[in-house]
Amino acid sequence: MNTGKKNFAHTLESMDFLKMDRRTFLKAVGAVGATAFLGTYKTEIVSALEFAETKIVWLHGAECTGCSESLLNGGNPDIVQAITKLNVNIAYHETLLAQQGIFVDGRAANTSELNSEILVDELIEEGNYILVVEGAIANGPDGSGRYCIIGNRTFKELFEKAAKNASAILAVGTCAAYGGINCAASAIEEITDFRGVDFKKEDQSKGMLQELGISKPVINIPGCPAHPDWILLTLGAVILGKIKIPDDLSSLLDKYGRPKVFFPSGHTVHENCPRRGFYDRGEFDTDISGDKCLWKLGCKAPYAHADCGLRKWNGGNSMCTQAGSPCIACVEPGFPDCARPLYVEAEDKGVLLGANIDNVSKAAVGAAALAAGAHAVRRMKGDE
Amino acid sequence: MVNVTVDPLTRIEGHLRISTEVSEAGVINDAQTSGVLFRGFERFLQNQDPRDAALLTQRICGVCPTSHSLAAAGALDELFGVADTIPKDALVARNINQALNTIASHATHIYVLWGPDLANPGYRDVLTPLGETGTSVWKELVGRFAPISYKLDGQPVPAGSSYLAAIPEKKRLQEAIAVIGGKMPHQVTSFPGGYTYKPTVGDITKVSSYYLDVMDFVSNYTLRVPFETWIENTYKASSPTKALNFVAEHLQGLVDKSLESNNFTREAGWGDAELYTAFGSELIGEKILGLPVSLKHDKHGGYSDPSKISFLAYGAFYKPEAGDGYDPKSPEGARFQTSGVVTGNLEYQKLNPDLITESVAHSFYKGEELHPSKGVTDPFTDPAEIKFDGGSESRYSWIKAPRYNGIPAEVGPLARMLAMKEPLTTGLALALKENGYSPANTYTRMVARIQEVAILANELLKWVTVDLDPNGKYAVHTDLSMAKDSEGMGLWEAPRGALGHWVSTDSNSKVVTYQPVVPSTWNMSPRDGAGVPGPLEQALIGSKINAVDNASGVDYSNPVNIFHIGRSYDPCLACAVHTIDLSGKNAPRTLKLV
Repeated sequence: MNTGKKNFAHTLESMDFLKMDRRTFLKAVGAVGATAFLGTYKTEIVSALEFAETKIVWLHGAECTGCSESLLNGGNPDIVQAITKLNVNIAYHETLLAQQGIFVDGRAANTSELNSEILVDELIEEGNYILVVEGAIANGPDGSGRYCIIGNRTFKELFEKAAKNASAILAVGTCAAYGGINCAASAIEEITDFRGVDFKKEDQSKGMLQELGISKPVINIPGCPAHPDWILLTLGAVILGKIKIPDDLSSLLDKYGRPKVFFPSGHTVHENCPRRGFYDRGEFDTDISGDKCLWKLGCKAPYAHADCGLRKWNGGNSMCTQAGSPCIACVEPGFPDCARPLYVEAEDKGVLLGANIDNVSKAAVGAAALAAGAHAVRRMKGDE
Repeated sequence: MVNVTVDPLTRIEGHLRISTEVSEAGVINDAQTSGVLFRGFERFLQNQDPRDAALLTQRICGVCPTSHSLAAAGALDELFGVADTIPKDALVARNINQALNTIASHATHIYVLWGPDLANPGYRDVLTPLGETGTSVWKELVGRFAPISYKLDGQPVPAGSSYLAAIPEKKRLQEAIAVIGGKMPHQVTSFPGGYTYKPTVGDITKVSSYYLDVMDFVSNYTLRVPFETWIENTYKASSPTKALNFVAEHLQGLVDKSLESNNFTREAGWGDAELYTAFGSELIGEKILGLPVSLKHDKHGGYSDPSKISFLAYGAFYKPEAGDGYDPKSPEGARFQTSGVVTGNLEYQKLNPDLITESVAHSFYKGEELHPSKGVTDPFTDPAEIKFDGGSESRYSWIKAPRYNGIPAEVGPLARMLAMKEPLTTGLALALKENGYSPANTYTRMVARIQEVAILANELLKWVTVDLDPNGKYAVHTDLSMAKDSEGMGLWEAPRGALGHWVSTDSNSKVVTYQPVVPSTWNMSPRDGAGVPGPLEQALIGSKINAVDNASGVDYSNPVNIFHIGRSYDPCLACAVHTIDLSGKNAPRTLKLV
C-alpha cells in the first residue's frame, strides 16, 4: 500500500464504517478497497482472535446456491481470510462441509463428524451463533411447509428451531430477505407461499418469523446474488462489534431491513452507472450491444438502491449495465415482479406510484432537461 | 435388509435425498432418489414477455447460470426467427462465457464438492493397515482434499492443500466471466439476437491473463505432465487405444519411480489428476499398473442392464469457422461438442429431440407423459401426499422422469465425451467394457469431467485470442413483434449435462408455455410409468456401500460409496426441481422511485 493510502486508512482507524455517511463510505471503499478497510480494524481483529470465535450456521432453503457461490467469490476479505482473520467458524454450511444426513432404519446414524443432521442439531442446542439463511422458506401447501423437506423435516421446522436460538439472523440474497424469484407472480404463487425471513416482498407482516411468532434481530442483504462485500463486510462489522445488535439496527437499516450503507435510500444504481453520461446527454441504445444509456431497453437502475456502480462485481471487473444489460433491480423487495417486463421502459408499466415519467420526458427537450426531469419526479415523491 | 437413507446429500447444489435398501453383505438392492423441494419456475413465465427468460431462468441455478441463460437465448433466437443470422462474434462470446462457466463449475465440483469424500475415514480404515503404500496414499488424500471445519476422531484436520488452492482459482474464473459477462453468478449478457456486450481489446487481454493464472494452478496441482503433452497424446491422439496407452505409460513411469519410496507427492509428479487416475480404478491401478491397492471406483456406480440406459448429449459451443448463424436443432457434428446418443452398449445414434418425453408417474404432479414443448407443471397440493418413504411403487419426488425414446439417459461430461468420441474417455469406456465393468461408473464420470476441463481449456484460448473480434458485430435487431405465434427450442449443455428450454408464444408475443428440461432431471429422475429406475437409481442398485468393496466390513452409518456415486453426477437439485411459475397475474408492483 502506498503512503497516501496508508495515511488515509489511518484516518479511518477509529471510524465505524457502517455509521459513516454514505459519501465518506463510498469514497473510502472506492479509494482503498475493502481489504485495507478491514485492515483499519487491526486492533479489533487481534482481540477477536484472542477472545472470541464466531459461529455461523448457514442454512439453505429454496435457493440456487448463487449466494454461496458469490460468497466464495469474495475478495478482500476472501472467505479464507475471513475465517482466519476474523476467527469465523463456518460450523454448518451444506455446500461446504464434510457431513451429510445419514439415517439407518430411520434413525440418525454416526456422529456429528459425518452426520450433518446431528451436527446442526448440536449446534442449535449450543446456541450462540449467527444464523445465515440463503433461499426462501416454503410455507405451502396450506401452511405445512412440505414443499421443502430436508432430512425428514420441513425446512420451515428447521428454520424455526435455528432461529429461536440464534443471536442474530442474516438473510442473504433476495430470496431469503423477501422471497425473491420464488415469490414471482404466477398461478401457483398462493399455493407455494414462499416467505422471506422477515418479509414477503414489501410486506413485513408476512415474513416467516412473524408467521412463527418469533422475534429476532434480522439484517437483510438482498441481491441476486448478494455481493460478497455486502455479506462479508456486514459479518465483519457484527463480529467486531461495529454494529451493536439490536441497538444499532434501527438507525443503520432502512425500512426493508437493509444496511443503508450498501443500499442507500437516497442513492440508486443510476447515479454511478458507467453509462450515466449518455443518459445526461439523452443518448439511448434501442438495440443490444451498444455503448449508450440502457433506459429504453428497460433499465431499472433509477429505482434500484445499491452501490453496484461504485463497488462493481467480481473483483471490480464489471456490472450489469457496463456489460450492456439493463439493471433489473434485483436488490428490491418486489423483485422480480417490480422489474418485469425487464426490457420495457418503466414508464410503460404504471408502477411509478402515480408519477408518469413519460410525460416528464416528453415535455423535456434535450438531455439536461431529461436529467432534471428525473429529479423533478423525485421531488414530487417528497424524497428530496 | 436395512434402510440406509442419505438426506440431505450435501456438497451438491440443492437438496437431494437418496433412500436405499441394503443387504447384510452391504450391497444395495433397491434405491429411490428424491428431489425434496418444489419451487414452481415454469409457471411464472406464462403470459409474460419471452425476452425475460434469459435473465430469469438462470435464477434456477447459481452454479451454472450461464447455461440456463444460453439455453434460453437459444430458444428465443428461434422464437424470434433470428437463429440463422446471429453474428459469429456473438456466438464466440457465448462460447467463451460457457466454457469459463463449465470449467469453474467442474473445478468447484472436483475440489470443493467431490474431493472431500476422498478424505472420508472409511479410506483411512482400509488403506492404513496396508503398510507403507496405503498409509502414504491416505496421507496424500487427506492432505490434499480435506474440507474446511473437518474433524477426525475429535481432532481438527487442516483443510487440504488442493482444496484451499482451488478456491481462489474458482474465484478467478468467475472474475474472468464478469469481464465479458457483467457479473457472476447470474451473468447478464445473453439475449435473443446476440450478445449484449462488445468485448474490448483490454477485456481480451484481461481474460487471457486470468486464463494463464488458472493454468498455473493446473500445472502445479492438477496435472504434473505438461498440459500440451497431455492434450497432444490424449484428446488429439489418433485412436482411443493410443490415448489410453499414453496415460498408462505416463502413470507407469510414476509408479515405477514411486513404489519403492512410497512417495506419491505432487513433487514426485503425482498431480491430483494423476493420483486419482491411478488409484481410483481397480482396472487401471491394480490390474494394469500393478498397484497393491486402489479405491475401486470403477466397480461402483455402474449400470447392470445396458438396455435400460443411454448417454445423451445435445451439443454445445458453436464453431466459429461456420460463420454467422446456427441450426437450433443441433445436428450431428455442427457444434464443437456434438449432439448424439450413445446406447448402454456404446453404439452411436443421431439425436432426435422429438423422442424426449417426461413422465410424472412417480412424481408429485398431475398429468401424463408428454413432450417438453407440451409440458405442464401441476403440483400436488395436499401436504399428506408429499412423502418420500413410500418405496419404489409410490410417488416420491419433485423431479419428473425424462426419457429418450422411452429409455433413461445419463447426461453430463461422460455422455458428452462419449458422443464426441473423445479418445481417452472412449478408450477407458471400451477397456472397462471389455474387462467386464460397466463403462460408466464413479471413476469414468470423474475422469471424463477432468478431461473435459482440459479440452475446454485448450479450445478456450483459441476462442479468446484468435476468434473473438473486438471490432466484430455482436447482435442483430429483434423486437417483440417478431415473436408472435411462435415456438423455440434451445438445446445446449450445462456443466452437468444436456439442457433444453422450450418456449411458445401467442399472438401478443406473450409466453404460452415455457419448459426447461435440465441435466439433473435426467440423472436424478425417479422411476417412469414402466417402473424403470432413473440413472442414479440404477447406478446405486448393485453397488456396495462402503469404501473399497466393503474391505473393512459393513458399516451402514458411513456409506461412502453412496456419497461417491451420488456426487459423481454432480447433482444440481435446484435445476432438477426448477419449476418456477412465470405466468402471471402480473399485478402492478410498486417500485420505489427516488
